[in-house]
Amino acid sequence: MTTSSLLEFARGPLFRLSFAILILGLGRIIFLEIWGIIKAYGNTCDMKMPWQLIRSRSLEWILPVKRMMRNRDVYSVVSFLFHFGLLIVPIFLFAHINLWQQSVGITWPALPYLWAFWLALSTIVFGATMLIGRMAVKQMRFLSKPQDYFWLILLLTPFVTGFICANLSINAAFYQFIMVVHVLAGDLIFILIPFSKIAHCVLAPFSQVVGAIGWKFPSGADEAITRTLDSPKG
Amino acid sequence: MKITTITQEEHKKAFRSVKKPEVIQKQKLNVRYHVEDLDVSDRPRKFLEAFAIILKHSNYKMVLDHFIRMTARCSRCSVACQVYQATGDPRDIPCYRSGLLLDVYRRHFTLGGMLKGRVTGGGYLTDEKIQEMADSFWNCTACRRCVLECPLGLDHGLITHLGRYILSEIGIAPRALVVSTRAQLEGPFKNTSAIPVPALKDTLEFLEDDMFEEKFVKIKFPLDVDGSDYVFFAAVSDYLTEAESLMGIAAVFTATGDKWTIGTDYFDGINYGLFYSDRVLERVVKKVDDETKRLHGKKILIGECGHASRTARQFVPAYCGGTQALPVVNIIEYTHRVWKEGRLKLNPGVVTERVSYHDPCNYARNRWIVNQPREVLKSFCKNYFEMAPSGENNICCGGGGGTVSIDEIRPYRTTVGGRMKAEQIRRSGCEVLVAPCANCKKQLRELVEDQGIDCKVVGFHDLIYNAIEFDDSLKVARDEAGKEAK
Ligand code: SF4
Repeated sequence: MTTSSLLEFARGPLFRLSFAILILGLGRIIFLEIWGIIKAYGNTCDMKMPWQLIRSRSLEWILPVKRMMRNRDVYSVVSFLFHFGLLIVPIFLFAHINLWQQSVGITWPALPYLWAFWLALSTIVFGATMLIGRMAVKQMRFLSKPQDYFWLILLLTPFVTGFICANLSINAAFYQFIMVVHVLAGDLIFILIPFSKIAHCVLAPFSQVVGAIGWKFPSGADEAITRTLDSPKG
Repeated sequence: MKITTITQEEHKKAFRSVKKPEVIQKQKLNVRYHVEDLDVSDRPRKFLEAFAIILKHSNYKMVLDHFIRMTARCSRCSVACQVYQATGDPRDIPCYRSGLLLDVYRRHFTLGGMLKGRVTGGGYLTDEKIQEMADSFWNCTACRRCVLECPLGLDHGLITHLGRYILSEIGIAPRALVVSTRAQLEGPFKNTSAIPVPALKDTLEFLEDDMFEEKFVKIKFPLDVDGSDYVFFAAVSDYLTEAESLMGIAAVFTATGDKWTIGTDYFDGINYGLFYSDRVLERVVKKVDDETKRLHGKKILIGECGHASRTARQFVPAYCGGTQALPVVNIIEYTHRVWKEGRLKLNPGVVTERVSYHDPCNYARNRWIVNQPREVLKSFCKNYFEMAPSGENNICCGGGGGTVSIDEIRPYRTTVGGRMKAEQIRRSGCEVLVAPCANCKKQLRELVEDQGIDCKVVGFHDLIYNAIEFDDSLKVARDEAGKEAK
């Protein structure tokens, strides 16, 4: 397989597949999440939900202005900007929108070139900072599992490669090679998101509700457990 | 707030084990608290069985599923945890603590984990891991401050709660709590301090006499009055150690004339179930509800006690009738309301010291009782000031999660758990610290003593008692009072 046919494959069928996995996978966990919440809510007698608290705590983290600066300020700002770039750049990049338009015919406004340039660059820098932070800060290193490093590297790969292709003058063969890495990394990210901690991109908004219902214990559990313990095992 | 971590010497003191080596050997468990002798064979299997049964009869599965998909291990929670701030040991980072249990769940209760376990042949729950959990979950004071700092909104307090619950099912729970609960649920006196009813009556009469001599008002503790508006449950230890708080509460009711009562069949608000077992929690909550119904009370009133209030408030609806359940009121809410209605007069000249307010975690973390006591205190304490952080973000006294009732770990509580709080009190120059919670009061008194801080810890109603002013109609003339006293 030549590089160019591999590229075609990676951004054609493979992309479609991975995108389908992403959507279906995320759909699945959202469904499971909501189903779990509904079931748990049905188990409890205490139907009153602290909506005000849930709303304000959720908003605090979706727009973390209030929380961000109070503790770990450098880390918080870096992390916030990293997340921001991570979401905005791939969706609003002119080149990406172009691909969508050519294949499915839909389009939306793109980021101006300069914006895209700086945002992509800052995402790379902040991502790298997070990676270094993970390795350098004692408590972060202690908590980290291999996949935490892996994800940062994987997420940065399409950014770095994309940045190279868009902004540096390199020869055509090398360009194609970098492009293949770019697209393959993107595909891999899509495939893995629903099965990894990155699922927090869709699950985070449920956290406060999960916490609130988690504290609502079903009535009669004591008796049920005693009964289970007393019954002979079979 | 930044604090220095403990020195090696302090570490030794805080974590020393008071147990004899042969007990540790026999129980195959080296933790700081005493544990009742238990069957130690096959512990991991029993743990997993208990875990499975609990998952079946609870809502924890939903929570755990959510958590294992989410944890990003960013370590932001480390700044919130006063235990980690004191020890500097990364094993005390809240996320790591939860991770201990999440790993077990992942490995043994999810398909992916089981497959991975099969393939790699590793990760099986071991005695060492149980030991680590038994240590870690009781290092935590269940203050739930870390909840506020998690960008993903994960509730580490809930995971600690579950971890302790499972451990207790295989016999690993602090003996101090287990023994008290047994006295409460199965003992002849039906309360955690094993106070017999005649002794309770004596105490209350004694207090009534005292109050009469001091205030010239007949202040009563009404017992077993049918059909009262409020049936009162204090943390039962208050009857032994917090006379002033109780007198304050009785005084408020005398001033307002509202009907309240203490039931002699069951009068203990303490619910250690919140700290180690949902099953205990459920049983105790039902007792409180039963007693209120026996006396045809309209509302459940809980005294100055954070966990007692939270358990009643949160779990009476869950266990005793949902929307039909009896309303639960905390005494501070009541006092605040009657003060606002103008039915309570407080003399602003009595309390002159620098007074500050300590938020019990169980009141403030969910923004339940934060401003009410402050409004009242500011109205009559000339030198009231705020410590920072406070309210929802308050720092735990260091004795939360039931640890305050475990006397053998006092060195841990006052060097590690309460280190951040001690620093805060010291820096603020507080003279009188109001802590409207039986647990907080005990812990804070021990804390200021062990840390050599000059600060008096009192209850909210202690100050109310000092400052309260009665209507002339309630006052008995002095000479008459003299006669009555004779
Ligand atoms: S609940 Fe409190 S003590 Fe426990 S881990 Fe969280 S912050 Fe630390």
